[in-house]
Amino acid sequence: MALPHIFEVAWPDPSKLGVDSKSAALLLNEARETFAGHLGVRSDEITFLGEANIGFQLGISGLMSGKNRLVYSNIDRMEVFAVAKEHQSEQLQVSSTGQIAYENLTSEDVVALQLCNRETGTIQSARPANCAGIFVDATASGTRIALPENWSTALWDSTSWAGPGGLGVFALSKRANWSNPLPHLDNRINPGPTSLPLIVASALAIDSWVADEKNLAAKISAINSDIRSFIMANIPDADIAPGGADHLISASFLYVNAEQLVTALADKGFAVDSGSACNATNMQPSHVLAAIGLLTQGNIRLTIHHATTFEEIKGFLQTLAQTVLELRA
Amino acid sequence: MEILDCLGKRCPLPVIELAKVLKIKPIGFQITLLSDDPASAPDLIAWARMTGNNAKVIDATSFEITKLSD
Repeated sequence: MALPHIFEVAWPDPSKLGVDSKSAALLLNEARETFAGHLGVRSDEITFLGEANIGFQLGISGLMSGKNRLVYSNIDRMEVFAVAKEHQSEQLQVSSTGQIAYENLTSEDVVALQLCNRETGTIQSARPANCAGIFVDATASGTRIALPENWSTALWDSTSWAGPGGLGVFALSKRANWSNPLPHLDNRINPGPTSLPLIVASALAIDSWVADEKNLAAKISAINSDIRSFIMANIPDADIAPGGADHLISASFLYVNAEQLVTALADKGFAVDSGSACNATNMQPSHVLAAIGLLTQGNIRLTIHHATTFEEIKGFLQTLAQTVLELRA
Repeated sequence: MEILDCLGKRCPLPVIELAKVLKIKPIGFQITLLSDDPASAPDLIAWARMTGNNAKVIDATSFEITKLSD
């Protein structure tokens, strides 16, 4: 089903009466079932969010009562830092490989757990236990990493399965001790409304993404290894983030201005992001790179997509090596 | 101790200028680097690890650098 067609059939409000609304409600239920199957939650635990990042506030603050302490890490997303400011909280420092050690958790602690870091691809291996609740940030991992069994709330971003942007999937476990932190009059979790066409498009995207991932995971892993070995062999003074999720690579180059590097690569047709200060709106270096102890200057972040080819990467790496050389001259 | 004043210079200039100065100095050479760029603290530590030198944070804008490797 193409997106323009979805907009034609999914315009009515699914909560109203009438034939059109009934068919819209059917579409919504189908989408809910699709997500439930791929994300490992019950369909009635799912809420769609038109603004994905409101899920950090819903997922964390909803688990906090006056007596709870929020435990999070220094490579969590800024949205978690913002929510932590409102609560009694403790920030854990990650190791030089980006890993967290959960020690001395109490039954009054609420933990924010990031399954995968979207900048470095760091996959968190520790799982908190014996705590009051766990908010799972699955925005970068998508369907790649399963929720821990004792999850309370969880948040996904539609773009992680190549779905449309501007859509989050929030799950609230039936077991969770949660109360809505947003102003509300009834038991609705978000004020809404959330775009039904986006939800339907994202459900189609997750279906095809999961099917493709089965066949393409090996290729993405091979491309990841190629990139790492090329940089290590051909570009001196490079700092590559320790391995994690295969589709993400973060590499920094000493003595290189990231803004110039990103612009030069863009001119040659390669779109990469950067965690360097000169590339950030607030002129601050990436807090994730700094927390892990990685170089923040001359940083680029690569995302390997399902459609990425070995030929493309070969061309990219030659261009990268040449550009870094030129910028250092 | 010599002072390399990089106040007001943005990343990666402080690290580039430091490397230039150290290039012609002997092992064991020490210098104080002044920088108010927010990337300098993480980057001098990372630079030291990557190049086999030593960087010590004195305060928010000063760093003690020791050349330990050519």
